[in-house]
Amino acid sequence: MKTVAARLLTRLYPRAWRERYGPEFEAMLEASRGGLRTAANVTLAAVRERIFPTQGGNMERDPGSFGAIVRHPSALIPMAMSFVALMLVLGAVTFYGHAHREPDEGAIAHLWQILMAGQLPVLAFFAIKWLPRAPKSTLAVLALQAGAVLAAMAPVFYFNL
Amino acid sequence: MRSTRHVVNEEKPPELGHYSDPPLLVLSSLSNGPKHGHAMIEDILGLCGTRLGPGTLYGAIARLEQQGWIEPLPAEDRRRPYRITAEGLRVLRARLATLQQFIKAGAGRLEPL
Repeated sequence: MKTVAARLLTRLYPRAWRERYGPEFEAMLEASRGGLRTAANVTLAAVRERIFPTQGGNMERDPGSFGAIVRHPSALIPMAMSFVALMLVLGAVTFYGHAHREPDEGAIAHLWQILMAGQLPVLAFFAIKWLPRAPKSTLAVLALQAGAVLAAMAPVFYFNL
Repeated sequence: MRSTRHVVNEEKPPELGHYSDPPLLVLSSLSNGPKHGHAMIEDILGLCGTRLGPGTLYGAIARLEQQGWIEPLPAEDRRRPYRITAEGLRVLRARLATLQQFIKAGAGRLEPL
């Protein structure tokens, strides 16, 4: 395979992967027969590497880093719940208009309350588990989660729902 | 009209494809000495007729290295050889033993036929 093609195909992989395997992979591609089949194989493998990155060798992410901690389910779930709560409120405002005031017993109001209250134990679990291990990154994630909570609450207060 | 869908050629068995379990193939290839990527591809081709694509091979290498079953050696020019670790050898033995057991059981079932 030509050097340019080998370099282009290697560029499909994430940077961390390239830094570890790039030169040897490129050398192997140059020595290979090339062709569409090889290109398809490398492309699929690169896509897979981007979706399910290899954790290992010197690509290992610092387990205490923000990027590693924010990926934990206990960090993501509260943010996802806040996002769904926000979408519910925005959806309700879009459909019914902000003049419409949902009674407390309304389905959307109940769902919003469940989503906001339900994330509290997850948030507590996350803080208890990660604050002692990686305080700085955990505080940053908690700030992000707090931002998500405020974003979900903002339209409720803004539209006085 | 008779369907010909299930008619098989008696002389030539239907093609089932090559055996492909990239991590096991890489471990097997490295079991007789360190090799770099291209040498592994050629060795595996001779071993079982499977030609691993470069992406597939390096996907397996990265994951095996992550699991500590293979380790990199210093690069020679731009090519980097890999060798199997003691843990990798143990895993390979276990996997081959399972396969052997499976082959024995499968062959046993075919005997009465």
